[in-house]
Amino acid sequence: MEWWEVLVQQTINGLTRGAVFALIALGYTMVYGIIELINFAHGDVFMLGLFISLSWFTFLGVTKTLTGWQLVTILPLVFVLTMLSTAALNVAIDRLAYRPLRRSTRLAPLITAIGVSFMLENAALLWKGPAPIAYPDVFPSVEILREWFGVDSAVFITTKDLLVVGATIPLMLALHYFVTRTTWGKAMRATAQDRETAQAMGIDVERTILMTFFIGGALAGAAGLIQGMYYNIGQWWMGYQAGLRAFTAAVLGGIGNMPGAALGGFFIGFLSAWSDQYISARWTNAIVFSILILVLVFRPHGLLGERTPEKL
Amino acid sequence: MSRALASAALVAGLVVYPFADRALGLQTVHAVSDGMIYVLLALGLNIVVGYAGLLDLGYAAFFAIGAYSMGLLNSPVLGSPLYGHAWSFWLCIWLAAAVSALLGVVIGAPTLRVRGDYLAIITLGFGEIIPVAIRNLGDITIEIGGWRPIERLNLTGGENGVNPIGRPYLPGVPFETDPVPWYFLILVIGAASLWAMNRLRDSRLGRAWMAIREDETAADCTGVNPVSTKLLAFALGASFSGFAGSVYAAKLQAITPGAFEFQVSIMLLCMVVLGGAGSLKGVILGGMLITLFDRVVLAETTFFVRWVGRTTGVPALVAADLTLWRWLFFGLGLVLVMLLRPEGLAGRRVRPAPAADDDADDATLADGAPAPRVDALPGWLRERMRRGGHASEPTPILEVRGLTRRFGGVVALNGVDLVIPRGAIVGLIGPNGAGKTTFFNAVTGLLRPDGGRIAFEGASLVGLRPNAIVARGIARTFQSIRLFQNMTVLENVLVGGHCRLHATVPGAVLRPPAVVAEEARARTQARELLDFVGLGGKADDLARNLPYGDQRRLEIARALATEPGLLLLDEPSAGMNPREAETLTDLIELLRRELGLSVLLIEHHMEVVMGISDRITVLDYGTRIAEGTPAEIQRHPAVIEAYLGRGYEQDLAARDRAR
Repeated sequence: MEWWEVLVQQTINGLTRGAVFALIALGYTMVYGIIELINFAHGDVFMLGLFISLSWFTFLGVTKTLTGWQLVTILPLVFVLTMLSTAALNVAIDRLAYRPLRRSTRLAPLITAIGVSFMLENAALLWKGPAPIAYPDVFPSVEILREWFGVDSAVFITTKDLLVVGATIPLMLALHYFVTRTTWGKAMRATAQDRETAQAMGIDVERTILMTFFIGGALAGAAGLIQGMYYNIGQWWMGYQAGLRAFTAAVLGGIGNMPGAALGGFFIGFLSAWSDQYISARWTNAIVFSILILVLVFRPHGLLGERTPEKL
Repeated sequence: MSRALASAALVAGLVVYPFADRALGLQTVHAVSDGMIYVLLALGLNIVVGYAGLLDLGYAAFFAIGAYSMGLLNSPVLGSPLYGHAWSFWLCIWLAAAVSALLGVVIGAPTLRVRGDYLAIITLGFGEIIPVAIRNLGDITIEIGGWRPIERLNLTGGENGVNPIGRPYLPGVPFETDPVPWYFLILVIGAASLWAMNRLRDSRLGRAWMAIREDETAADCTGVNPVSTKLLAFALGASFSGFAGSVYAAKLQAITPGAFEFQVSIMLLCMVVLGGAGSLKGVILGGMLITLFDRVVLAETTFFVRWVGRTTGVPALVAADLTLWRWLFFGLGLVLVMLLRPEGLAGRRVRPAPAADDDADDATLADGAPAPRVDALPGWLRERMRRGGHASEPTPILEVRGLTRRFGGVVALNGVDLVIPRGAIVGLIGPNGAGKTTFFNAVTGLLRPDGGRIAFEGASLVGLRPNAIVARGIARTFQSIRLFQNMTVLENVLVGGHCRLHATVPGAVLRPPAVVAEEARARTQARELLDFVGLGGKADDLARNLPYGDQRRLEIARALATEPGLLLLDEPSAGMNPREAETLTDLIELLRRELGLSVLLIEHHMEVVMGISDRITVLDYGTRIAEGTPAEIQRHPAVIEAYLGRGYEQDLAARDRAR
């Protein structure tokens, strides 16, 4: 491969990774925006999304690559079922673990979230075992450049890459529409700005929080499904790592800022792909965390976020 | 007496235990010693999390640094520029603590800018980076275009870790073959650490940590430097894990990076949270319970479940291994403790904070504040103030010229001048949003002015941190009361004395006579101050449990404990009934008359402010619209227009006629 082909290939890699990070990061940033909690367990909801989607495929009898009409019936169905499952899971987590602590100190729900994260991870470990789980190759993989355009190139773009982008972008646009154009979205934005005032204006704050967890969970589920179909592998600890990277993305974009989280997700995707290629995969984690620390220390409001004065 | 007896029994039990264990053939000494290392780690973490209130999710990094310091310096195997020195264990243990403390400062440094949960994520990041770095630094090759300046350099042993590690040497003590010397070594280190932590807790440093935990801004405005206080917590917490890590490495004789992952940090956090963050006994209890659970309960229960499986013939139970469930249980434990008993098993029982401003009126009616008495005025304060300067000196105590502060496009303060003559009471009034509190925040260093001069005792204050301004002699109270809620009334006042005390870490631990005397004096002085403001009987109550009016007076006592020359009071009579407001007026007048204290007062109660002020400054939209005596201000047309209202003028006229 020529040097530029390597770069293009890694950039495409980064784009697909970034799409998944972006979906997870949106859930982090929405929850933080509304109740100022780093929902540590969010990455593990993504991991469970992968396993749950696998269960739905198994339940529907899908074990090999989908073809033709199956792609437009079964695949959307599994998307919906998985997203509903993880959304319900995320809402249940909020109800059971976070809601009782709404009025307590700020660190209490964060510690609880870490506990929930551990429970989910180890529940998955007991469920699926420590070894990597093979995820069936349900989505057809066709090399686009060679098969469709007849271009002979070392760069490798497949229909799976299209799937990632094709599933992620509409979800993000739908979310954007929901948040900026609907009454529900307005309630969410108002609650994020000032919970008490929103309540005084007649907004059902608890229901808005529930909605936030629901949407965040659904997006994490979609991300898990996409991840599974793309990489065909799943492991119990993957939520921890993906969660931290997605959280870094949310911080980069300015936590609470949704377009920022999406952009941050793609940025972390590119960064980790390039780092794997040009530095060394074993240093990538250290590099991502260094960026997280540097951003938190020097621009805690993120690259896009706005500076808010502390209330005295 | 019974306490001493209990302590003696405890010591005897700890000393006899390993021999009893040997006599009975239990062979538990190894496991107990390992458990004690983790308890020591949890105690170190408690300084950061429990005292200073900084959630550290990467504490295992310090453990790793301690262990690797020992491992690299004390390994007899050559292979790296860093290792193969085989230095003495007794030297390495101190080096390990020092290196860990240094790293604590490095990791703590970002905390200067970051708060709360962001800080937790930063520590998590460091906790992830350290094991990655240890792994990867075992095999470094740098290649730049075919040129390899560094090839296969092994600094840390990489994935294989460091092995073997030298043992401590004491003549005649069999560290090689016998677990008992290890037990005593760890016991001695643990007991010494506990002793030191206990003394630190009860010192000015411990109180500063807790003040930061309770309310960082209020602590800063009470003379506690948040930066150095937090760094100290990180450094000390890390140094204890340096001891623990080095003993761990030497005892195990081999270390690998896998022993210091995120899970270890979380297990330690479980110990602290379960026992009760901030309580030494609680953390020991939590550490023992979790170690016991991890080492004994899970294994024994597995045996039991398998036995049940065999007897009932259920194959799933026969194959069960509950030790695989340990992290699930730890996660569940964290959640349950936070939901059911957030203060931990041994922590102070705290009720959830009452919602802000709720029932403020009710609370004030409940208690009658005693009138301030001149003879109750603490002699030491009178003495201190007399030394501070005389009311007859012509220079003003505070001189503010052209103070300007903008928030985006809003000019909150626009070239404000304000002069406080020595020993005067000056009122600062104006409509809501006029910039009064912004003015306070600029003078006390919470906000940096965009322009203008602030001179206190002739020296500029611009650019100083709030705690430095307190040390110069300006104290303040807050519009919405900001006490250290979960500290006692006495401790609140003692934090006020922080900047007048001098004990350092060695002083706080070793307690030389000077420190003992200083601490005793501070306590006497604080109690006298509490008597003076009428809180003498409540010294040991938690500040959060005081009624509203008492909280206001405690805030004043805390401010007075900083020995100020100028006191800034932000709406001290807010939420008070007329009788209480009157008592407060008497108190302020008495402080001025008897101590020569200068006072700047933001107030909306016109009776209070007109009654006691020598001069009044009026702000409106960030601009000074009037300055003068109360009588002049009451008749000033601009003031009536902007603030007092036409009705006020007529009221005044009616009152004059009635006289």
